Amino acid sequence: VTWRSTAAPPSERPGERRRAEMKKLYGEDSPKILAMEAAMQLTFDRNCDRKQPKYWPVIPLKL
Amino acid sequence: MQDDWSLLGPLQWIRYVNKRVTVTAGKDEERRGWLLTVDPVSASLVLVDFREDGGTSVHVVMGHAVEEVQVLEEADEEMAERLRTSFLPSSSCSLDP
Amino acid sequence: SICTSAASEADPEQLQREQHARSVLRESFLRCLLSMTDKKVQFHMHEKVKVAATFGASDIDVLNFQVSNLHTPIGVQKEALIRCQDVISFTFDA
Repeated sequence: VTWRSTAAPPSERPGERRRAEMKKLYGEDSPKILAMEAAMQLTFDRNCDRKQPKYWPVIPLKL
Repeated sequence: MQDDWSLLGPLQWIRYVNKRVTVTAGKDEERRGWLLTVDPVSASLVLVDFREDGGTSVHVVMGHAVEEVQVLEEADEEMAERLRTSFLPSSSCSLDP
Repeated sequence: SICTSAASEADPEQLQREQHARSVLRESFLRCLLSMTDKKVQFHMHEKVKVAATFGASDIDVLNFQVSNLHTPIGVQKEALIRCQDVISFTFDA
C-alpha cells in the first residue's frame, strides 16, 4: 500500500470513525479488541458467503 | 434485584465476575454457574459449571432475556484460578499484537 | 448500542476504569465465542424451542449465529443462521 495525499480528506478514510468509537469505548486496549473483532467478523462473513445459510426459523420467534 | 441488567455497564458487570450466580431468563429458565464474563455489547453472561462427572459445561445467557441475576457465593483463590485456566485458552493468542 | 456512562464523561479516571473493565469483559467474551467453533451447542429459544447445532461463527454485534447441521423439530437444516433475539440461552461442553 502506498500512502499518497489524494483529493479525499483524511476524515473519509474507511474505518477511521469506527477506530475513534472503539478508542472511546475500550481506551488503550482498543487496537487489540478491534483486531479480534475484525478476525471474527471476517470468519462470519466468509462462512456466510460460502455456505449461504438461511434463517431458522424463517419468521422470528420474538418480534 | 437490579432494574435492568443490560443497562448496568462494565463497572457493575465486572463485579459479578468470579461469583457463582443464578440467572433467571425468559419465562421460566434458570441457569447456575460461575460467572466468567459479561459481554459489554450484548450484556450476555458466560457461566461455567464444573460438573460432578468431571466435565465442564458453559452456559451463555443472552442479555436481552435476563430477568434476574442472584449472587450465591464468591470464588476463593483456587476456584478463581480454575476459572482462569480451565476453559479459555491463555492470553497468548495469535491475534495479540 | 453501548455508551459510556454520564459519570465517566466528567471524570477521566473513571472513564479509564470503565474502558479497562469493558475491554477485559469483551476480550473474554470474544475468546469464549472463538472457543465454540465446531462445537456442538444446544440452543434454548423463545416459545420453548430447543435445537442443537454445530457452531460456526457469530457476528461481532451478537445479532446472528452461523451454524451447521441444525437439528430442528422438523428435520436437519445443513446451514443456518440463528437470530440472537430468538435465543434465551445456549450451552456447550468446554
